[in-house]
Amino acid sequence: MTSLTASGLPASRRKPAGYAALIAVAVLALAVGAALPWLVPTKIAMSLLAQAMFDALLATSVGFLILQNGRTSFGQAAFFGLGGYAMGVLIARQWVAPEAAVLIALILPTAVAFLLGLVISRITGVAHAMLTLAVGQAFYEVVFRWRELAKGDDGMSFDLPAQMFGFSARKLQDPAVMLVLAWTVLVLVLLGLALFARSRIGQVAAAIRDNEERARFLGYSTVMPRALVYAIAAFIAAIAGILQASYNGYIAPQMFHWSTSGFALIMAIIGGAKFIIGPAIGAVVLFYIKDYAGQFAEYWPAIVGVILVIVTLTMPRGVVGLALMLWRRGTRR
Amino acid sequence: MLIQILNGIVYGGLLYLLAVGLVLIFGLREVVNFAHGALFMVGAYLGFSIAAMGYWWGGLLVSVVAMAIVGCLLDAMVFSTLRKQDHIVTVLVTFGILLILETVVTKVWGKAYLTYPVPPLLAGTINIGGSPFPVYRLFVIAVSVAVAVSLSVWLRYTRTGLYIRAASTDARVTSMQGINVDRLSLIVVGLGTALAGLSGVVAGPLLSLSPTMGNYILIDSFIVVVIGGLGSFAGAFVAALLIGQIHNFGAVYLPWAATVLPFMLMVGILIWRPTGFAGSRT
Repeated sequence: MTSLTASGLPASRRKPAGYAALIAVAVLALAVGAALPWLVPTKIAMSLLAQAMFDALLATSVGFLILQNGRTSFGQAAFFGLGGYAMGVLIARQWVAPEAAVLIALILPTAVAFLLGLVISRITGVAHAMLTLAVGQAFYEVVFRWRELAKGDDGMSFDLPAQMFGFSARKLQDPAVMLVLAWTVLVLVLLGLALFARSRIGQVAAAIRDNEERARFLGYSTVMPRALVYAIAAFIAAIAGILQASYNGYIAPQMFHWSTSGFALIMAIIGGAKFIIGPAIGAVVLFYIKDYAGQFAEYWPAIVGVILVIVTLTMPRGVVGLALMLWRRGTRR
Repeated sequence: MLIQILNGIVYGGLLYLLAVGLVLIFGLREVVNFAHGALFMVGAYLGFSIAAMGYWWGGLLVSVVAMAIVGCLLDAMVFSTLRKQDHIVTVLVTFGILLILETVVTKVWGKAYLTYPVPPLLAGTINIGGSPFPVYRLFVIAVSVAVAVSLSVWLRYTRTGLYIRAASTDARVTSMQGINVDRLSLIVVGLGTALAGLSGVVAGPLLSLSPTMGNYILIDSFIVVVIGGLGSFAGAFVAALLIGQIHNFGAVYLPWAATVLPFMLMVGILIWRPTGFAGSRT
């Protein structure tokens, strides 16, 4: 019946990989990340890969909501945009110190998502998809119309301050620096999510996803863990928004648009939303297909649509699910 | 004032035509068609092309029939095939279809805004309470009222209507009673998308045509469906009129907040009644 929400994961019957293995993989991934500027040949390739990392973070946020809450969001761009806009507007206006701007840009979307989560998480399935779409679009409408905030439709460019947390902040716009930073953040986020899924609260959240009534019957509050998952997902989306805004030095309402949310969701589905790493893989895969499809760029939404239809119909567990299946089949022999 | 209320009813009527299609489809298939706004848009473009040749009413007819056929194909190829899957999968597929349709329309008709003509029969204005009011807008109201009335009569007094109401309550039990729910669903989804085509053509002269024209109104009709309670016809009717009025009065008296008011109303209502006015079954 369910194919997106992870119920009855076969993995739960097997012993999950130990913490040591998890951390070893993360350290290895971080080492690869530090070497990336030497592995990736050109600045342009680095810049593209850095942008793929932003997409991967946003897709991870959407996927985490599916994995931990069983909720499909069509409005995750709201928190992506909120993070980017809080950062951009506060730095451009110089209302607060740049460090404080980053903190506010992280906390504001998280808090908003927590409060929204208290209301929205009660709604399930298809209604939830419609609702998150509408909420996300409400944010879009606000920044689109409110020209005094950040020039509305035109978007606003801003200059990064000279110093942030004691580093030269302008370096953030160097592809090599941003690539290493975004990669590192992504690895840490994925590690954090894997640890969360094993933690007590993560297990409770998974139990609520699988059977809310039974979890309530066992004496767990079902609202708080859900809202917490919303907040964590929004936090990740906000990081993506802040990184993208800093890298481009530009914010625009498109960050909030439902197509941004929709594409992030598509990446998560294509990669495989049943796996913590799936959405990030989906983002990178889709990113390279887009790069390859360069000359057909005007047909890009249709290409994505076709890929989405094919993936949902033929491999409901996504690219990672497919790879895992092939791997198991290969090792059995 | 009266004119403002009438304008609100015009927009509410358009929203009703879209929302009731969503409700019809949801009733039988328990999925929300994210491509509904795209079908609205394709319907408008088809009607436009035929109207440009001088056959306004022909455009209306062709668009409605074409969208009905598209709906039947959608049901047979997507909704029926995926009925055993998680409903979100179907929603994702309709989202993919939305992306494809938007690209195709952009390719065929271009991105520029196009102006849909008003049929000569309905051009001009009449006096209502001392102010001029376009006849065409009255026609839009008449169309939505006619659809609302005939739909409720059809659902209440015919055998097919009875079956549809039964299947909307519980499709499995209904099929156990020997009713072919798949065939019923073909009719219902076809009707729902035909209404999307109808509202696309009817809305054409009021809005300007663009490949993204369906998105804005789709989101408003989502709000209508959520506020009204998923799967409720009466709820959709009331909510559509309400959102129509809010949309219009907001635009006149609170322009800075106009676009956000429906969202705030929706969140407020969901806090008060999590399943909407009429209650939802999900």
